[in-house]
Amino acid sequence: MENSTEDYRIQSFDLDTQVLLKTALKDPSAVNLEKVSSIIVDHSLKDQVFSKEAGRICYTIVQAEVKQSNGNVFRRSLLNRLQQEFKGREETRGRSLQEWVCLVTFICNIFDYLKVNNMPMAALVHPVYDCLMRLAQPDALMNEEEVDCLVLQLHRIGEQLEKVNGQRMDELFFLVRDGFLLQEGLTSMARLLLLEMLEFRAGGWLLSKTAHTYYYSEIAD
Amino acid sequence: MSAWTGGRRRDAQSSQQDDSVSPAPGNQLGYWLVRLACPSQLLSTGPSRWSHCRKRGIDGNLRTNREAEGSDRENSRHTESSYRHSDNRHASFTTPESAGPVPRCGRRADWGSQVEDDEMRRDVQRDMQRYRRRILGAEVTQRERKTSSGSSGSCDSREGENMETDDAVLLRRQKQINYGKNTLAYDRYIKEIPKHVRQPGVHPKTPNKFRKYSRRSWDQQIKLWKVKLHAWDPPKLDCQDKVLNNIEELGLDDVMDIELDFPTLTDPQDAPAPPTTLCLSLEGDGCLGTPIKMQKTETTAEPDAV
Repeated sequence: MENSTEDYRIQSFDLDTQVLLKTALKDPSAVNLEKVSSIIVDHSLKDQVFSKEAGRICYTIVQAEVKQSNGNVFRRSLLNRLQQEFKGREETRGRSLQEWVCLVTFICNIFDYLKVNNMPMAALVHPVYDCLMRLAQPDALMNEEEVDCLVLQLHRIGEQLEKVNGQRMDELFFLVRDGFLLQEGLTSMARLLLLEMLEFRAGGWLLSKTAHTYYYSEIAD
Repeated sequence: MSAWTGGRRRDAQSSQQDDSVSPAPGNQLGYWLVRLACPSQLLSTGPSRWSHCRKRGIDGNLRTNREAEGSDRENSRHTESSYRHSDNRHASFTTPESAGPVPRCGRRADWGSQVEDDEMRRDVQRDMQRYRRRILGAEVTQRERKTSSGSSGSCDSREGENMETDDAVLLRRQKQINYGKNTLAYDRYIKEIPKHVRQPGVHPKTPNKFRKYSRRSWDQQIKLWKVKLHAWDPPKLDCQDKVLNNIEELGLDDVMDIELDFPTLTDPQDAPAPPTTLCLSLEGDGCLGTPIKMQKTETTAEPDAV
């Protein structure tokens, strides 16, 4: 699997950092992996595009480190830093909606890419749910940014999440239904996204052909 | 309405999770159980005689001249993880845990450690399945042989019934094994002595975590295994200062441990260097190189065997 570095979307870093990341990908023991992990987290919180794909570069570094020294310094410091950010999530949300959305996107992306023996990391299941539940609260549903993020994450990892903990997915969807049905002041775009999500899960995490046409025909034209 | 209850549910859940960071007051008991369970790891707070050649510290970092930094970090993490007591007990009433060692056996709160524990648990389960398959396979062939030749099988065929399946025990044992394998000595050993060259009784053999053993027996096997592995410690020059440090750390109880262990040895070939030689080689100087220690082991052990 020959991955060119463009795949990792690291062009948005300054040149020195790009070099550091490239080295981390090829020869992880040559760099300070704790520093690398914090650079990646910092950048993810600022750059929405990067936060959507940051899991990929993390995955590759984790693999490289295991292969080289059977170590997991990078994964450990990445997860622990992420945990800190998770703990401060409510402050982050109050400070900057964009950063909060980036944080959720990043955690979900890590959940999607990093696996333990091909299984999702159990330690992240509740935190990921906590983030998504937060996005589905009435005050968050008023922001299209947050609804958009909620729906995007569920498209990507909803099925996996439900498999590891179906009960919390049910709870999350109580909120989604309530939001769609009862909440006043939602934009029609937000309602559309929520309705699509309801149909998406009801169809076993697939959109029927007609539903797809309904939701995406405008984009296709 | 369910939005409201859902919200409350969420709050309850997340606060539950936050609570899990600080141990319940009952953790005191856990601490003492752990102390009782693995005293040698816990009673000495400084680096033990095994730690100077450890590849990685407790935080998983490779130990490259970062001993001091590493232990600092460990302490800070420990205080960070808020070992506070929710009730108003006097400080002297409680065990001063923040100064103590990190409990290795309990559930750790940070995500990095949780994922590592998770990984180990799954690895152990996978190993168990493999082992079971292997035993079952061996049993089947043995039964076939029995029916064809009529000879009595060895007691090994009963292995399937004597298998340790308790998750907690297996996990604890795996941790002990990992602890021994996480050494430069182990790396050198597996490199220098490939598997097919190893002789039972002469070379260290990792204890079989799937066999039923008493706690005492298991711990003893681990201890002997690690003593034997010690023979492959690197003859590093740059670790001299660490070794000197370790001599100070090498408490009397460590030596006592070894001496107490001896009477239970049945096979003299199993014996590592007698305590005196071990002490000498440690005190003399750490840079003589371990092959010499190994020779000592053999020369002292062989006359007994004859």
